[in-house]
Amino acid sequence: MANNIMTWIDKRFPLTSFVKHELTGYPTPRNLSYWWNFGFLAGIILMLQVATGIFLAMHYKADVGLSFDSIQHIMRDVNYGWLLRYMHATGASAFFFVIFVHMARTLYYGSFRAPRELLWWTGQGLLLMLMATAFMGYLLPWGQMSFWGATVITNLFRVTPFFGEQVVMWLRGDFTVGDATLTRFFSLHYLFPFLIIGGVIVHLVALHSVKSSNPSGIDLADKDNIPFHPYFTIKDLYGLGVFLMVYSVFVFFMPDSLIEPANNIPANPMMTPNHIVPEWYFLPFYAILRSVPNMVGGVLAMGLSVMMFAFMPFLDRSRIPGGAHYRPIYRLQYYLFLIDMLVLGYVGYMPPTSSTIVIVGQVATFCYFASFFVVPFISKAEERWLIKRGLPADIVALMEREKIDLDKRDSENLRRKGDK
Amino acid sequence: MEEVLNDGNRRNFLLKLTTVVGGAGVAATCVPFVASMNPSTDVLAKAVTEVDLSGIPPGGMHTVAWQGQPVFVLHRTPEEIAASTATNGVIDPEPDAKRVIKPEWLVVVGVCTHMGCVPNKEGPGWICHCHGSQYDDSGRVIRGPAPKNLAVPPYHFSSENKLVIGKA
Amino acid sequence: MSKLLKVVLLGCLSMQAVWASEAKLEKMSVATDKPSLARGAEDLMNDCHSCHSLKYINYRDLLSLGVDKQKVDGWRGDAPLDSPLMSQMSEADDMATFAKVPPDLSLMARARDGGSNYVYSYLIGYYTGPDGVTGNHIFPETKMPDPLGISGATDAAQRSGMQDTAKSIVSFLSWASDPHESDRIRLGYYVMGYLFVLTTLLYFLKKQIWSRLK
Repeated sequence: MANNIMTWIDKRFPLTSFVKHELTGYPTPRNLSYWWNFGFLAGIILMLQVATGIFLAMHYKADVGLSFDSIQHIMRDVNYGWLLRYMHATGASAFFFVIFVHMARTLYYGSFRAPRELLWWTGQGLLLMLMATAFMGYLLPWGQMSFWGATVITNLFRVTPFFGEQVVMWLRGDFTVGDATLTRFFSLHYLFPFLIIGGVIVHLVALHSVKSSNPSGIDLADKDNIPFHPYFTIKDLYGLGVFLMVYSVFVFFMPDSLIEPANNIPANPMMTPNHIVPEWYFLPFYAILRSVPNMVGGVLAMGLSVMMFAFMPFLDRSRIPGGAHYRPIYRLQYYLFLIDMLVLGYVGYMPPTSSTIVIVGQVATFCYFASFFVVPFISKAEERWLIKRGLPADIVALMEREKIDLDKRDSENLRRKGDK
Repeated sequence: MEEVLNDGNRRNFLLKLTTVVGGAGVAATCVPFVASMNPSTDVLAKAVTEVDLSGIPPGGMHTVAWQGQPVFVLHRTPEEIAASTATNGVIDPEPDAKRVIKPEWLVVVGVCTHMGCVPNKEGPGWICHCHGSQYDDSGRVIRGPAPKNLAVPPYHFSSENKLVIGKA
Repeated sequence: MSKLLKVVLLGCLSMQAVWASEAKLEKMSVATDKPSLARGAEDLMNDCHSCHSLKYINYRDLLSLGVDKQKVDGWRGDAPLDSPLMSQMSEADDMATFAKVPPDLSLMARARDGGSNYVYSYLIGYYTGPDGVTGNHIFPETKMPDPLGISGATDAAQRSGMQDTAKSIVSFLSWASDPHESDRIRLGYYVMGYLFVLTTLLYFLKKQIWSRLK
């Protein structure tokens, strides 16, 4: 019976061959580490956010007079409403955490390099959409942080040349963040996840065209690829189990650690809280905004700081495979960059009242951009140095087997050093 | 999926156990989502309506809202009681005594059992203007197309003059 | 890769240091058992409710905590059981008396940095200065008169009695700010237990499946 149905479908739609080609039989490098689990996790969180969001929207009211009350209605009266809301709020943070790790992995192993530039750029687009969605969702509870966060972020568009004021008014539909803003943010917050799903499909098509990268940085021969199912389905599911344990600790035991106390006060357009901070995932970028003393410069710097990652395929000129794995200087630079991000996050969290914080922020902002701009020079110098010194035997063997020449002269050089 | 995962002919107990445990988890996760669509506690709090009977004279009727529906509370006169107990109804026969707790108070849900319109009090009994169904002073249908008598909600008298609808 | 983990952990620790800036607050442990919460509800109705509302809590909620029905009926008067705990003062009276409307207390235990500890420290933070004027250590600009009279406490026993009252009020406020907290934690233990079993199974299944490759 089931066979007959499948035959009937397959005559009209390539279902079996699609599943076999793209899902079960999809060839995957066998040497992927657990750092390759995070793309799958991001997909699961997207589904969780959409599901909890749809059910929350059944009880939420987008109206300045009602939205704060409707959140409390969800928290107190709706059956398991507190669970759905805490899952959704925690899910936002989990989403960014997982995406940041996913990006960090790409940067560490150089997975953004040819031929995966488009894969990396579609990911960059998804990050921007995720940020927009998270920002708009944060307004919906209509607490003090929601209101003032949205006020500050919409004000960023004031730097638009010539039409600054008009653009801000257009975004808000009001003189300040108001009822019109709340309603449109709700509408778009519901729309964007579906755009993200579309973006994810494009991201996956790009992935399946160039296939997954792997820790060695060299595309492996067929015999080193294994079918996605069952090997990576089970590996991803095991990773999911571990992730859900961490997620549940936050949802059930410390959900308030991710909600600012000031957001439990209804929005008051007449009074700004003493200390307004964005959600933790925006902190480094917020610190960059504050570190530039000029308003236009600050906004541009912040925008650029998010977009810098897109330039990595051009900036990294080294042909040594495997990213930081085989490149000690790039590795050092990578860890310094992570530390710089943490410093920026810390600066973003602290009130900008002490001059030490301001100076630390400015130095960290400089380092942030500098670490991108030095990549082309350092990567090329490092490549020359590595080739002269000779690469480790295992990578040389792999490159020879896959017939990868950095270029003719260098490869001869390589082989000679490798023989020793 | 089974075939690929099963190692040769050996029955894979671990795989089956994991599938069952995982499936149970997915099913349990659906519970809060489904439950969230049920009436919330503030809605359920409206499940009970209190009615003060002291303001309803004999022969008078009050319509009160219970769970969002109209409920007719009719203070019947001795004549109306006599007329109601004399018959058992026509289409859906039922003795009047089974439809009331105290004979002078008739409490029925004011929703026509045909298509859900609200009947009007006209003369003795009610007439539904949507399709012409007629009910007597016991809320029993005496002319179609309605198939059943007006429903009697659960209720009790918490004191001499206080009626609680929603809890027997 | 363990290096990365260490870096992340270090970052978390430094954030912890930021949060610890509320260290000057008096610590208290919130009671969660029903008798304590019912006592807290009574203390709150006596000491706070004449000026402060709790608009997300209704009289029926107080009954569910086990507060005496007669007391609840006394507080609510003619209001139905489902009506929220609104203060007896109108906003106009509030403005005339304090020049501001006293804040709603439903979410107070979660609406300040430091949470319950903040509210507790604030309540017991009243003192009488050398000039005879009452002040507050935690919130010097407060317009609320000392509700427990702790600034006039004469001996240690009286003071510790008032601290107990403050603790019971804060415990009630903590419950009111998230009434499902105990349900949540109980469900959390079951979920964690389940996930532990499932993840263990998945781990061994993963090992079994991957062992075929070697």
